[in-house]
Amino acid sequence: MKEWDGFSADAHRYLDGEPFEELSGAELAAADRLTAEVRDYAARLAPLDPSLDVEVMAAVLRRAPARRPGVLAWLLAPRTVRFRPVWVPVLAAAAALVLLVAPRGKRPAGPEVAAAPARTADTVFVRFELEAPQARTVSVAGSFNGWRVGALTMVRDARGMWSATAPLPLGEHRYEFVIDGTRWVPDPTAHAEVDDGFGGRNSVIVVGPKGLVRS
Amino acid sequence: MQSSDGTIVRRVLAGDAEQYRLLVERYRAEFGRYAVASVGDLDAAQDAMQEAFIRAFDALATCRDPDRFGAWFFRILTNQCRNVLARRRDTVPLEEVDPPGGDRADEGLERGELGAALGAALARLTPEQREAFVMKHVDGRSYEEMAELLGVGVDALKMRVHRARDALRSLMGALR
Repeated sequence: MKEWDGFSADAHRYLDGEPFEELSGAELAAADRLTAEVRDYAARLAPLDPSLDVEVMAAVLRRAPARRPGVLAWLLAPRTVRFRPVWVPVLAAAAALVLLVAPRGKRPAGPEVAAAPARTADTVFVRFELEAPQARTVSVAGSFNGWRVGALTMVRDARGMWSATAPLPLGEHRYEFVIDGTRWVPDPTAHAEVDDGFGGRNSVIVVGPKGLVRS
Repeated sequence: MQSSDGTIVRRVLAGDAEQYRLLVERYRAEFGRYAVASVGDLDAAQDAMQEAFIRAFDALATCRDPDRFGAWFFRILTNQCRNVLARRRDTVPLEEVDPPGGDRADEGLERGELGAALGAALARLTPEQREAFVMKHVDGRSYEEMAELLGVGVDALKMRVHRARDALRSLMGALR
């Protein structure tokens, strides 16, 4: 075989680090020579200058304040709209009421609330909302449901707004949204966040005894 | 502990643009050699990498899986490298393109520097063959890693690498 005819299948297996059957001395030498040339070439490659980071960040920070997502980005990006865990009103008969602080001990009104489990004296219904038109599923995972993805699934309306209502015990709870079963999204409007211990942030909600919720 | 790509992307999208620096540092180091070897020139590689990072920032909200930012960014970088090569092909004859480090192939061989000849030969491969060869042999990635980054099957990548080796053997034989 002439040198410029290419490598045999066994030589390719040899170069891939795979078992091979038969390799002539010339083939072996050619393969080893290519390996040596690659090694020499790689050693000569100059690394990119770290000053690149400075130039990139200068450009990025100039753009960041005026950042305007395009239509596609807007459609694809999950976003939170007036999300804040909200007390469910329990005296209202009209289902379309915006849900606010819920007096305790009353049966909540509205289809979302009706679907929620019965409340006890030490729990308060909290409604979660997230606008994510492109999401296939959204759920709320938090300290109140063992952080199980899918334990509190949200329901999508025609506008792409996802919502769910859950009875939460009085006290402090931590949570995140889970989009499509894998993408964890904290609440950007939360009044408090804590480190989740894995490099991310958890949103915090405090269900108080006076019907006050801080999120 | 290092923050995950997904965590950083979410923070940037929430308005903390400064966090993007972590991704720039991480992937400038991870893909720097690939960029230099792909375009065959340090300055052009710097430009391609810089442009890729800025484009990625502008399109960050469209990154469907932030935990796999690296693979998403790599494809943007690959396109930028191809653009550099396409522009150069329009303006500079290949024979005038110096390999990384600035040495011409023949000068390198005179000094016993084998790699200079390889740099000149790499510039003559197709973009797909060059990318696959560089990832496999210069970056030392497995075919599975390459498939993850490029979104191409292992068998197809093996074929590209094999054809690249055959072409390099032929080109380098002709250079000698």
